[in-house]
Amino acid sequence: MKRMQTEILVIGGGATGTGVAWDAALRGFRTVLVEKRDLTHGTTGRYHGLLHSGARYVLKDAASAVECISENRILRRTHTHCIEDTSGFFVVVPEDEDDYPDRFAAACRRLDVPCTEIPPPSALRREPLLNPRISRVFELPDAAADSFLATHATAQAARQAGATLLPYHELTRLHLSGGDGNRAVSAATVLDTVSGEELHIDADLVINAAGAWSGQVAALAGVEVKMILGKGVMLATNARLTNTVINRCKMPGDGDILVPIHTVSVIGTTDEQVADPENLSIEQWEVDLMLTEGDKLVPGLSRSRILRAWAGVRPLYQETQPSGEPTPGTDDSLSNDQPAQDSPQSSRDATRALALLNHRQRDGVRGFITITGGKWTTFRLMAESAVDAACEQLGVSRPCRTADTSVPGVEQGHYWLGHRLNEVEDENLQSELVCECELVTRSMLEGAAQRNPTVTLDDLRRDVRLGMGPCQGGFCTYRAVGILHQLRAGNASPAAGEWHVAHMQSPAHHHRAGAAAEPSRAGPAPASSPAPSDESRRRSAAVDPGTNVSQPNLLLRDFLQERWKGVAPILWGQQLRQERLDELIYLSILNADHLPVDDEESPLSSFYRSGSSPASSSL
Amino acid sequence: MLDLLVIGAGLTGLFAAYTAARAGLRVRVIAHGAGATHWHAGTIDLLGYLPNGQDAVANWTQALPELPPAHPYRLLGVDAIAQALDEFQHLAAAAGLPYVRAAGATDLNTSGPQAEPISQRDAPAEQFHDPDLGQNAALVSPVGAARPVYLAPAAQQAGNLEDDRPLLIVGLDGMPDFYPALIAENLQRQGRLARSASLPLNQLTKRRDHSPLQLARLLDRPAAQAHFTEMVVDVAAAGERVGLPAVLGLNDHTRLLKKIHQAFVSRDPNTARSQDGQGSGAAVFELPTLPPSVPGLRLDTALRARLDRLGVRVEIGMEVCGFHAAGRRIEWIETETGSRPLRHTARNYLLATGGILGGGIYADRCGHVKETVFDLPLTAPQTRTQWLRPLFLDRRGHPIFQAGVSVDHRFRPLDQSGGPVYDNLWAAGAILAHTDPIRERSREGIAISTGCAAANAVVRGL
Repeated sequence: MKRMQTEILVIGGGATGTGVAWDAALRGFRTVLVEKRDLTHGTTGRYHGLLHSGARYVLKDAASAVECISENRILRRTHTHCIEDTSGFFVVVPEDEDDYPDRFAAACRRLDVPCTEIPPPSALRREPLLNPRISRVFELPDAAADSFLATHATAQAARQAGATLLPYHELTRLHLSGGDGNRAVSAATVLDTVSGEELHIDADLVINAAGAWSGQVAALAGVEVKMILGKGVMLATNARLTNTVINRCKMPGDGDILVPIHTVSVIGTTDEQVADPENLSIEQWEVDLMLTEGDKLVPGLSRSRILRAWAGVRPLYQETQPSGEPTPGTDDSLSNDQPAQDSPQSSRDATRALALLNHRQRDGVRGFITITGGKWTTFRLMAESAVDAACEQLGVSRPCRTADTSVPGVEQGHYWLGHRLNEVEDENLQSELVCECELVTRSMLEGAAQRNPTVTLDDLRRDVRLGMGPCQGGFCTYRAVGILHQLRAGNASPAAGEWHVAHMQSPAHHHRAGAAAEPSRAGPAPASSPAPSDESRRRSAAVDPGTNVSQPNLLLRDFLQERWKGVAPILWGQQLRQERLDELIYLSILNADHLPVDDEESPLSSFYRSGSSPASSSL
Repeated sequence: MLDLLVIGAGLTGLFAAYTAARAGLRVRVIAHGAGATHWHAGTIDLLGYLPNGQDAVANWTQALPELPPAHPYRLLGVDAIAQALDEFQHLAAAAGLPYVRAAGATDLNTSGPQAEPISQRDAPAEQFHDPDLGQNAALVSPVGAARPVYLAPAAQQAGNLEDDRPLLIVGLDGMPDFYPALIAENLQRQGRLARSASLPLNQLTKRRDHSPLQLARLLDRPAAQAHFTEMVVDVAAAGERVGLPAVLGLNDHTRLLKKIHQAFVSRDPNTARSQDGQGSGAAVFELPTLPPSVPGLRLDTALRARLDRLGVRVEIGMEVCGFHAAGRRIEWIETETGSRPLRHTARNYLLATGGILGGGIYADRCGHVKETVFDLPLTAPQTRTQWLRPLFLDRRGHPIFQAGVSVDHRFRPLDQSGGPVYDNLWAAGAILAHTDPIRERSREGIAISTGCAAANAVVRGL
C-alpha cells in the first residue's frame, strides 16, 4: 500500500472541501484533499448557481443572511470571474401580498443587506418577461455564480499554494488512536477508484467537508453526525428568460427562485427530506410544481422548452432542534422516511447557517473536525471556521488569508453571457467547435482533459459545460469520445495548452486583451510543494491510460446514459423530438448500442443508472 | 382537381408521390419542412434488429414473421416490400444515384440496376427466386460498429464488413464529425484488419472547422478533387479498401470516386487486377456522418428531380393549420400563409408527416399524444410515466416512440371501432403505430414500402 503524510487531510471535493484545502494551504499547512469522484460531483455541481445577497433569509434565518451578505462581498473580489453580476429582484406577485414585503425591507436594513425598492414599471423594462402583475420590486446584490468554475479556480489556487488534490480517491477508513477519552483520528485509508489501489494517509488532523455525505464520513470516526438532507429539484430552460436573478418576496418556499446561468435559466427548488444522498429520483409532481410556480414569476415559463431536471442535496445540520428538544443524536425521526412537512426538523425549516462540529469538545475525538450546513455562498467562511478550529487543535496561530487572496483568473473580471462567443470569435475559432450549444472548442476540451483526471465524459461536462445545451449531448458525445481517443494516442492540437478550466477565458486571449499578467499570487510556488503533488501532477499531465478513456465505447455509453437520466423527467414536446434525433444519431447512424465493449459496466457506469443502486460503498 | 395531396416531404411522402404520379395521378406534395432524409445515413435500412433482439437480422424476409402482427411489414408481406424496393432502385438509378444490395459484390463501375424503361419491367416474377433477396449486409458506422443495411448508395457499398480486404479509414483534419482512429480501433476489436490516416486540408481551404456539407461543396470543385485524389492515393497501400467520410461532393461525388479509383488502378495495376476478378481493384467508399447527411441530401435531391420531371410540385414551408371534413370525407385542408389560410383541395390525402421526430406526432407535458394534422386517434401509451424506460439504450426501445396511427391493409387510419376514420385519407411512414423505425433500423424500408403501398391503394380506389 502506498503511503502519504500530511498535516491536514480534507475529505470532500466540493466548494467547501476545496475551500478548506485552499485556506489550509495558504496558512502554510501541508494539505491533501480526497474526493471519491470528480471535483464538484456532489451538491456543488447540482445547485442553482445563486450567489445569495442574504435577503432570502433576512426574516427566516438572520444568522445565515448575515453570513451570506458578508461572503457575497468577499467572493466578488476573490472569485470575480466566477460570478456574473446580474443583480437580483425580489418581486411581490399577487399570490403573495401581505405584510411580508415591509417586514422584509426593514430586516434588510437592520442586517445591512443593501435593498432598494424600485417601481415595477422600471423592473419590467429591464425584465420584460416578468409577471406584469407584480406590485412591488426590491433590488438586491444577488448574482449568478458558476460553481464548477469557482471550484476549479479554488482548487487551482489550493494547488498553487501547495495542496495536493486527489479526485477519484474514496475514503474507506479513518484510523483512530488512543483509548477511551483520548481518542484521536490519526490516519485514513483511501481507495483510488480508478486504479483500485489503496493509499494510506497519515494526517495530524482530518477535516470532514463531505457535504451531504458528512454523516457517513463521521461514522467512520465513530462519531454520530445526523445530517438533515434536503433534496432540491431544479429545471433548466433552453433560453435565458431573465438577465436578473428573480426571487419571490415571501417566506422561502418551493420554486420561487429563477437564476440566469450562462445561456439558460434555472428554476428551483423543492425541499424534500431524503435519507440517502445518492439515487435521487425526480418525480413528475416535482417537475410540475416547479413549472406551476415558475409561471407565477415568468408567465408562460411552463410552456418553454425544458432542457433538463436534476436534484441536489442540501447538507443541513442543526445541533439542537429549533424547539429546544433533544439533540438530533437522540432523535430517530431523521432516519425514517417521514414526510418533511410533519417534522419539526423539516429541511425547509432547518437553518442554512454553517455548522462547525469540533469533535474534540463534542465527542472527545481529537484530530477531527466536521464543517457542514451553510450555502455555496458561504463556502469560504465555512473553510475559514474549519481551519481556525484546526489551528486551535494543532496549537498554532495562523490567520486566515483567503478573504484577501484572489484565485487564478479574477483579473478577467465578472463573466458575462457573451464571454465564450466573444472568445471563440476573437480567436477566429481556437479550433473546431465540439459542442455548438455551449461553444466548447476542441482546444478547451483537450486542455481540460489534459489538466484534470478525466475518467468519464461527465468530468469534462463539469469542466467545460460539454453537453449541457439543448441537444443534451446529441452531437458532442460522439465528438468528445473521438477527441479523447486521439488524446490517448498523444495527438493533441497545438492550441490545447492555452485553455485552463480555472479560467473563464483562455489566458492567451486575455493577454492579447492587454490586461494583467499571470494570475499567480498565492502561496509558495508549486515547485516547493511536498512530494505528493508530483503524483497529482503526473496524473493530470495527460489522460491517464489506466482510466476509462482506454474504453471509448464505454465512455460513450456512460455519457449517453448520464444525459438520459436528466432529460427523462422532462421529455415532452420539442425536447422529446430532440431526444428522438439523438436516438437517430446513436442508434441508426452510429449503431452505438452494438459496439464491442470489454465489460458491460465501467466502475462508474452505475452512477448514471437511475433506479439501480450505485456501488455498494456509498461514501 | 388533384387526385392526391401528399402531406410531408420525407422519403415516405416523396416516394408515395412518385408511385402515384407514375400511375398517372395528378399529385402534389406539401410539407412544413424538408423532411428527415437530411438527417439519415442515406442507406435503405429494412430491418436491422427485432424488438429486444441482440443480434442483427441476417435476412429480413425471414425475420418478418417474428414482428408483431400489427407491424406495417406484416400488413404488407415480403412480396409487396420487395416490389417497392425494386421500384425505388429503378427510380434511384434513373436519377443517377444508384442504390445496390449492400450484400452484393462490390463493383464500382457496374453498380446498381440500370435504368430501364418503366413499361418494360412490370413483371417482377424473376426477383422472387433471387437467393440473395432480403440479405442484409454490415456496413461500417462512423464509430466503427456494424450497421445492418439492405440497400446502400453505390458509394457506400465497399464498406461491407463481410469483405475481408484490409480497411484504411481516412479522416480530414478539422472535421469534428469523423474520427478515423476510433473507427479503425473498433474495427480491429471486431477482428478486421483496419488502420487509419488523416489528411490535411490546408491546401484546399483556410477554414479550420468543417461541417460535412461545407466539405462536400468544396469537393465538388474539380481543382479540389484533383488535389484530394492525390492525397488519398498517397496514404493508401495497395490492396486496401479506403473509407472516407461521406463528404465527397454534393453534386458530383461519383466523378470523384471514379477519379480516386482510377488513380489507384494506374498506380498499382497488378494489385488492382489480382484483388478482384472484375478488375475493380482498390475500392473506395463513403461512411455516413452526423447530420446534416450528405448522402441524405443527395437522395432528397434525386427524388425531387424525378418528381419534377413527372410534373409533381413539392412545396415546402406549408404548415397545415386546419381541415374540413364532410361525413367520412376530407373536403379540403388549409395551410398557414402570411395573410389568410391557403386552401388545398384533392380527391385523396396521404398523411406522411412522420412520427415524433418528423413532427407528425406531438406529445405534451400532460401526457396527451396528438396527431398534428387531423387529430387522428393514436395508439400510444396512456400516461407520461409509461413513455420511457430507465436505460437510454434499452433494446426494447421507449414505448412513446411506437406511438402512431393504426391503419387497415389499405393504409387508411382507423378509429377505435376499427373502421377507417375517413374514406379518402391514407397514412404511411413513421407516423404508423406498432413500429419503432429507429430502434428497428427499418426507417427507410417502412418509408418506401408503406409509401408505395398507400399510393397504390389510392390508385386502385380511383
